[in-house]
Amino acid sequence: MKLHRISAVTERVLRQIWHDKRVLVFMLMLPAIAMLLFGYSFSGDITDVRIAFIDEDNTDLTESILESLQQDQAFKVTVLETVDDPEQLLLSEHYQAVIRLPDKFTSLYYAHFAMGVATSAQGTIDLTLDESDPQVAATIRMGLADAMMDLGEGGPVDIQARELYGVEVRFIDSFAPAIMGFVVSLISIVLTLLSIVREKVDGTFSRIWVSPVRRAEFILGYVISFGLIALVQSLVVLTIGKTVFDIVINGSIFWAFGCTILFAVGSVGLGTLLSALAQTESQAIIFFPLVILPSVLLSGMMWPVQAIPRLLRPLTYIVPLTYSNRLLRAVMVKGLAPWQEPVGFIGVLVFVVLTIALASVVLRQSAGERE
Amino acid sequence: MSNATAIFQADGVVKKFGDLRAVHNVTMAIPRGEIYGLVGPSGAGKTTLIRMLSGLAAPTSGSVKLLGSLMPIDRRVVEHRFGYMPQERAVYRDLSIAENLLFFGQIYGMTRSRIAERTRELLSLMKLSDRCKQRADRLSGGEKQRLSLACALLHEPEALLLDEPTIGLDPALRREFWGHFHQLNSAGRTILLSTHYLNEAEWCDRVGLMQHGGLIAAGTPNELKAQAAKHSGQASLDMEEVFLILTQEPVAGGVS
Repeated sequence: MKLHRISAVTERVLRQIWHDKRVLVFMLMLPAIAMLLFGYSFSGDITDVRIAFIDEDNTDLTESILESLQQDQAFKVTVLETVDDPEQLLLSEHYQAVIRLPDKFTSLYYAHFAMGVATSAQGTIDLTLDESDPQVAATIRMGLADAMMDLGEGGPVDIQARELYGVEVRFIDSFAPAIMGFVVSLISIVLTLLSIVREKVDGTFSRIWVSPVRRAEFILGYVISFGLIALVQSLVVLTIGKTVFDIVINGSIFWAFGCTILFAVGSVGLGTLLSALAQTESQAIIFFPLVILPSVLLSGMMWPVQAIPRLLRPLTYIVPLTYSNRLLRAVMVKGLAPWQEPVGFIGVLVFVVLTIALASVVLRQSAGERE
Repeated sequence: MSNATAIFQADGVVKKFGDLRAVHNVTMAIPRGEIYGLVGPSGAGKTTLIRMLSGLAAPTSGSVKLLGSLMPIDRRVVEHRFGYMPQERAVYRDLSIAENLLFFGQIYGMTRSRIAERTRELLSLMKLSDRCKQRADRLSGGEKQRLSLACALLHEPEALLLDEPTIGLDPALRREFWGHFHQLNSAGRTILLSTHYLNEAEWCDRVGLMQHGGLIAAGTPNELKAQAAKHSGQASLDMEEVFLILTQEPVAGGVS
């Protein structure tokens, strides 16, 4: 193993990327675009849900429920005097919910509270809900429950919540680590795959394998190039995350970079592995959706693994990004050390060892069937 | 044939790809200082034989030696001492001429200053000096081929394996290439090359005719001519006729 041969391969790969401005721009823009696009469109924070609010009781209590709802950024509350048919109102005015607090709501509420279970009369909120979008509907239910909770000590239940891992974690906070893993692995896999298939097509592979370059040196050269690229891409994601979305990073930034680079190494291995299955560049392109789709759909990047149907869930465990997501979220959002998230950490390590070992076998075959 | 001074040597070499017999029972020995030409049509087994000599492929049976080392097993011993020019032009199309040479120099452990020196020498020899910063995919076919040859010569190997080095070149450029080969040869390099231009066989010290994976005739151009003349009873044959007679194909029929 000679350093000058490893660095020769690294320098060459980086030069090639530097020359191809399209690849260079793609490489740097992809993390930026992914962050901005996903960050804005999938921020998960629902806003501007139109609600009609009818208060027939007009007490301090009902007033404070209205205030809570108005303060909730999810809702745009329209206060109406009366309503004949809430369903009709919902349909004709395109409200997503009509909330009606009937007459005597307050007195019944306090009576029930004072007398406990002894009384059957309870304050009732009349909620008419558009269920066509379950996420919106759930937001309304939650908002209403929150408003009730805001009544505080006056209310029947006081929930004492302990929010772990610091400040309230928003969708974008846990999305940034996933974007980092996704972008870095996508670039490493695709560029390694294309680069090695090109070496085969153009015949430069023959030159390399008659030269003193060893397989391990070749792989290491690629690994170092893409490790460096991964570092740059992580910086882009974190910079945009911090400046545009003000994401919360509770953990060590060095662990974050370390884990991302580790994942890039495995991705280089996977790209090399896939190169064995393609003889031409157009054959290689077939693998792109095979890499991208499971990563986006099954890794817990867009929605939690728990939201994936049971039948498909075992598949999530063969998607490398699943482990990277767990690991990077633990490191960045929860502020843990890598080994404190053993499933993610070991998963990524196994991914690295397995793909690099197999890549080495694959290269032996492309190097001629000589050993 | 166990010639101790042979640079390239094959003993009863067979190479099969499944049922296909790419190289069949080839035995040859090329001593130091020779230009040896493997001549024959496409698919005759020339490339496979050269790949085995370079250590890129292992023979199915028989043995292959390069500079006295058994290939591919002992290739590490001789990897610095030979240069190989694959049939594909085998340069990085997205790198410049200088960057291609830099990479191939670095993997042979040459220093940057030595690479720069050799790059200057080779590019002026190949008349590419003014194209130094040009990306390889912007070069003409002939320029790319000159770059490819330069990559094989960069680390000053004593033995050269050149697979179809003149393929696709115009006649003037082919003569220029042959000028380089003879110059390298007189500087002590041993060269084994393949070609399917039969007139190039005349410019080799010795020629091996290959057909269907076998070496059907070998010798100096004049020896082959004499052999063909004896066969056919005709005198003053050119290499094309020699090839057709020795491969026992009818001369008539306007073969080009």
